[in-house]
Parts: sequence; C-alpha cells; structure tokens
Amino acid sequence: MSESKEGLDELRDAVREFLAAKSPERAVRAAMETGLGYDPAVWQQMAQQLRLPGLALPDEYGGDGFGQTELGVVLEEMGAALLCAPFFSTVVLAAQALLASGDEAACARYLPSIAAGQTVATLAAAEGNASWDPAMVSARAGRAAPGTGAAGWVITGTKSFVIDGAAADLVLVVARTTAGPSLFAVQRDAPGLRAEPMVTLDLTRPLAVLTFDQVPAALIGAEGQAGRLMSRVLDLACVALAAEQAGGARRCLEMSADYARSRYQFGRPIGSFQAVKHKCADMLVRVELAGATAREAARLADEGAAGFPVAAATAHICCSQGYVFAATENIQVHGGIAFTWEHPAHLYFRRAKSSELLFGGPAVYHERLLDRLGI
Amino acid sequence: MTDDLQDFTRQVRGFLDAHAARKTGRAGFRWGEGDDSVAYFSADPPDVEERKLRAARDWQRTRYENGFGWISGPPEYGGRGLTPVHELVYDGIESDYDVPDTGTLSVVGLGMIGPTILAHGQQAIKDRYLPAMYRGDVIACQLFSEPEAGSDLAGLRTRAGPAEGTAGRQGTEGREWVLDGQKVWTSVAQHSQLGLALCRTDPAAPKHRGITAFLVDMTAPGVDVRPLRQMTGGADFNEVFLTGVRVPDDHRLGGVNGGWRVALTTLMNERATVGSEGSGPVADALTPERLSALMRATWTWDDRALRRGLSQLLTDIMATSHLNARAFRQLQAGAAPGPEMSVAKLMYAQNLTRAAHFVAELLGPRIIADTGDWGTFAWAELLLATPALRILGGTEEIMKNILAERVLGLPKEPGIDTTSPFRDLPRSGGAAR
Repeated sequence: MSESKEGLDELRDAVREFLAAKSPERAVRAAMETGLGYDPAVWQQMAQQLRLPGLALPDEYGGDGFGQTELGVVLEEMGAALLCAPFFSTVVLAAQALLASGDEAACARYLPSIAAGQTVATLAAAEGNASWDPAMVSARAGRAAPGTGAAGWVITGTKSFVIDGAAADLVLVVARTTAGPSLFAVQRDAPGLRAEPMVTLDLTRPLAVLTFDQVPAALIGAEGQAGRLMSRVLDLACVALAAEQAGGARRCLEMSADYARSRYQFGRPIGSFQAVKHKCADMLVRVELAGATAREAARLADEGAAGFPVAAATAHICCSQGYVFAATENIQVHGGIAFTWEHPAHLYFRRAKSSELLFGGPAVYHERLLDRLGI
Repeated sequence: MTDDLQDFTRQVRGFLDAHAARKTGRAGFRWGEGDDSVAYFSADPPDVEERKLRAARDWQRTRYENGFGWISGPPEYGGRGLTPVHELVYDGIESDYDVPDTGTLSVVGLGMIGPTILAHGQQAIKDRYLPAMYRGDVIACQLFSEPEAGSDLAGLRTRAGPAEGTAGRQGTEGREWVLDGQKVWTSVAQHSQLGLALCRTDPAAPKHRGITAFLVDMTAPGVDVRPLRQMTGGADFNEVFLTGVRVPDDHRLGGVNGGWRVALTTLMNERATVGSEGSGPVADALTPERLSALMRATWTWDDRALRRGLSQLLTDIMATSHLNARAFRQLQAGAAPGPEMSVAKLMYAQNLTRAAHFVAELLGPRIIADTGDWGTFAWAELLLATPALRILGGTEEIMKNILAERVLGLPKEPGIDTTSPFRDLPRSGGAAR
C-alpha cells in the first residue's frame, strides 16, 4: 500500500469527524465511568460506518487490507480524542497475535468477526511482574483429560495488566507447555475464567487481572512458538501505541498553544512571554519527533524492512517521552485550572504516563532498543 | 514522486555516474583503524585547505557545465529553471557519491547571496556576477552580523553614506557610497571576491527602515579580513573591517533604506539542509556500531546507566534523521515545507552536544589529556565545537521564538524597538548611538 497523502488525509478527516461527534470529552468521561469502559453503540458505529476494526486486516479475513500506515492515522486520532474503545486490544494486540501465529485456521475462525466489530478480543501476555519477557511466563497449559469436551488444553495461572480483559469475548493467552511459551484462545464464558478489573492510573484504558483455573483452551499455531510471537507483536504494538501517543501529544500542544494565545496576564497574552513561548516550542519539537518516528516505523512495517524492529523501539521511546513531556508541560502552561478534575489535562497526563509504562517503560525499553540494534 | 522528478532523478544519476564514484558503505568500520577525527570545524593546514578549495571550484564548474550548477536558477543566468525541490532531490542523490565538498562556495554564496542578487540586483549586476558565481569563479560572503548586532540583526551599526562630491551627480551614474564599520562571524570571507553588506543609512528611522544593502568588492581598498580564532583553536570565521570602502551605487541591492527586505530574501534562502548531516566525520562517529565499540573499548558496556545513556542518545539521533527523511520525502511529493527543518536544526545541536558529553563520560580522563590511544582524545574536537552549534545560524532561543510565533501562532513580545528612531534605542554599555 503506497503512502498516498490524499488518501491518508481523507481517512484522517473521516476519523476526526467521527470522533468529534462520538467521542467528545463528555463522552470520554461517561465511558470511563461505566464498568465496561466503552460505549458498545459507538464501537458498532465505528465498525459499520468506517470499517475501522478491519482497516488493516487482510482481505481474506474480511478486512480492507490496508497497512500500519493507515492504521497509524486512525490511532493518532483516537489518541488525540482519548477514545474509550477496545480498539488497541482487539485490532492491534489480538489480531496481530493471530496473524503472527501463522495459524490460518485460527485466523479464519476469529479475524472476520474482529474485522466486523462483532468480537472484542485481547492478548493476555504479562503477569504479576508486568514483564513481556517470554521467560517470565508462568501460566501453564496442559492436555485436557480425555472426554471433558474441551478444545484439547486447559490453562491455569494468572494474567495481569490485560487491556480490556474484563470486556473481551476472546482472550488470547500466552501459557507455558512442555515445549515453552505457546499461544491459546480462551472464550470469555469458559468455566474457571475470572476477570477482575484493576484500579488504573489511566481512566480511559481498562486493565484487568484474569485468573485461570483449569480453563479449556485451544492451541493457536505450534506449541513453543509464542516467544518469537510476543517479540513480533510487541514491536507492532509499540508502533501502534506510538501513533496514539503522537496524536495525544499533538493534542496537548494544541491545547497549550490555544491557551497561550488567549489567556491574558499582566496585560498580554501569556504566549508572548518567552518562558511560555519556549515551553511551547519545546513541546512542538517533541511532538514533531514523535510523529516522525511513529509514522516512519509504520512505513517500515508496511515495507517489511529489516530496519523495522529498530524503528519500532525508537518510536516507542521517542513517543513515550514526547507524550509525557507534552502532557506534563500542558498542565504547566495552563496553570491551576489544569489541576482541576473538570479540566481534560489530567486525562492526557494519566494516559501519557501509563502508555509510557504499559510495556515496561524506561527500565525495559532502552535495553530493548540496544537488543533490536544488535550491537 | 511525480514523473518530472523521476525523469530528473534519472538525469542526475546519469551525470553523477559519469563524473563521480559511489560512496562505499560504512560497514567496514573496525575499532582502531582509519582516521579517528571527530572534528566539526575544519582543522586543515593551509595547503590542504587550498587544495580542497580548488577541488570544490572544479566540481562546481563541472556541475555548471552539465546543467546542475544552479538548478533552481533562471536559464538566462546559467540556471536550469527548475524548482527548489529539484535542488533537494539533487542534493539527496549527490550525497550517495564521493564528490568534493563545495560548502565554501555553496552554503552562503550560491545558496543565499545568489538568490538575493537575482531578486534585488540591477540587470548589469546580475549579468556580471550570477553566471560567474554559479560557475565557481566568484565566491561570495555575507556581511551581516556585527559585534553589537547578533540575534538582533536589524540593530546593525555599520554606516553607509554618499561619497563626498558624488551625491549631487545626475541620476545614479557615478554616484558612490562610503562604508565604515565592523562585521563579524563572516564565514569564507578570506576566500571571497564579493560580500553582501547591510549598512545603516538612516539612524533617524526605526531600525528596520534605515538599512541599505550593498555588494562589496572584497578586494577593494579599506576591506580588511582578519581570521577570528574560535574556542576550538582554529579559525573558521573572520572579522571584516570596512574603513572608507567606496561602493558604486549600481552595487546597491534594493532601495535606499530598503535593505531589510533584501536581508529577508537572503535569510529565507538559508538552504534547507535535508540529509546534509548524514555524512562527514561527526555523523560517521555517531553510529550505533562506533559508539558501542567505544563503550566496549572503555569497559563501560556493562554499565546499565551508560547503556541507558547510549540508548537515549541513539533514540534522539535516529528520531532526528527520521524527521529529516520524512520532510525530504514530503517535499519530493510536492508538499509545502513544514517546521521540520527548524526542529531538526535544534535537535542536531542538542544531539551533538549530548553525544560529546556522553562520550566524555565514557572516556573519563582520556578526553582531558591525550594518551595517544586511537579514538579517544580526538573527541575533544567535537566537545569544544558543541557550544557553537546552539548559537550559529540563529541561537536556540531565537529559533524557539520563530517556531512558536510562526508555527504555533503565539504573539510576539511587545516592544518599542521596532517603532522608535534607531538612534534613540538604548544599547549595550548605556551609550547613545
């Protein structure tokens, strides 16, 4: 898929218009206070009117066959609007895990209903220590006793930080067999599965603890393959997250610039003071870098370029830092008003900080970059 | 990319393949082998500098004779009549080839002064100088900055007045001006035959409205070029003293007291430097391979804090190059330039500064005294150069003002300096003008 600017602009306008109507701040606040964490009606409209869940899924599985570049445009707008929806979990984590598994039967079984917006899905990889290192997976999968009618396997263990884990119809689980970390599919109503929402810093992205007690599961792909799969999915997830972060950071910058132009103190707009002006310029620098790294990584993913994993790790660091910086300085530019619950600045701050740390944060992402560089 | 650009790209490759060799990759790096220079500023002895200048002029002549000497210039002055985007495309492709560095001619003279002469010069002046400049015969410099006019360029004080006995002559024929003052930070003045000088011609007018621009013959009596030794120890810039320098009126660019518009033309032509930072000894030294080799050689590879420092540095360097690459592709696709170039300039200065201090941390005492070991004390050159990067070509502070005002639409700082008569403005030291 070529990077046609007109096509991308058109997509961006359509998504922006949709989100302006369906996910204004009051809708975000309403959704984040519900148990589910999103508005199923809006999720359906996203699928039916804009076909967003299937945008970047292959044609043969009911998608529209676009790439990470187009998906990135959508995610930038979702990040900017703080959309509450199980998009990242379903379309990025779960769908990419299925595709990365190479299991065509599983893809044919699950992806069409994901593309159609009928299935909410997620990937349960990390556990109590929050690590995405396959060596840290301790949930176990064993052969089900004959005659139990299960799909052949049962899983026992606990998964934490599972995005939209309480809302998902389909949970893809990384669990260890004698062959090593492997990917499994578990249905939400499976016996022995318990989902407990976590109290979260970011109010717009629900996380859950999933407890598995002899839960029937179906193996996806080959046994022992999930280690490599986690690495591939993590690279793609980092790029998708980077797009969200870049979009959120840009929105913070816009809020600050608007305010700096219109807020008067000492008889002048505060944006005419260099202390404020330079802060905004610093934000602009970080926002431009974030956007460039996120889009460049998406482009390299679409080209299947050898440099993709490095670009993904770069984008993850650059966008994590850029968003945290923009969201923090946005509060400073606004002053006291931004510290109130009613002001949206804290929602961005919460999203920014938790996005930075979602996949491990600085303690992990710097080492990951050096690893991807192979130096 | 449009068809036209694809065709142009083919022509450029054909020309370069015929006249130059492709660069070999950097893959051959081995610790301890080859040149370990990490110099940002040139550190060449005079004979080497002379040889490089000759090679630069020869290469510019080759470009010119093959239609690539002034790609965006009008054909009547030896140009190709194409767009600045074609120029960027050319630069991008040429950077894959091993060709002489023509920066001495191109950065200021061809990139900034040439377009200014084209926009504001009289016909005879354009005929006389433009083809000669783009053929590589005439080198030009920019006589703008002064000791008391740095960021506030419009505060310049070099005076120009009508030469006695010539002011009353009929028309402009035979009229002359006399210039007196001092310019500073003038790159390539020592090699230049021509300089573009901004001078104060009406101190009673507000600062932007009392300036006139002149083309100065750098070999004329009263022009004194003195090397300015910078903190690295070398002399990449000059001071230029103008004492009673006579300039014919036909060498005036733009109207009398209309020099600020001329200056804006010059500054707006400050060449977009897309991709140009991707080569040279500094870029070659700041790769993951080189820096990780340095960490291994200094037994710091296992230090977690330093590994994090390396990752942070590489992230910022790669992010800046992604920004450059995307801006370049967008220009190729015909989009208007965005703020990327200014952002990249800010980041470039910051990245090199951080890199130098990071490497200093790896090296410890080996960067404060030369042990003779390969690839160690050589970094002192970069360390000493980095303070300049946040100042030259527009200080970090001014760059941020420009970004905030032009991109984000933030209001200018209110002040009286643009409306009061220039001579009434307070100046450093408290003296009146």
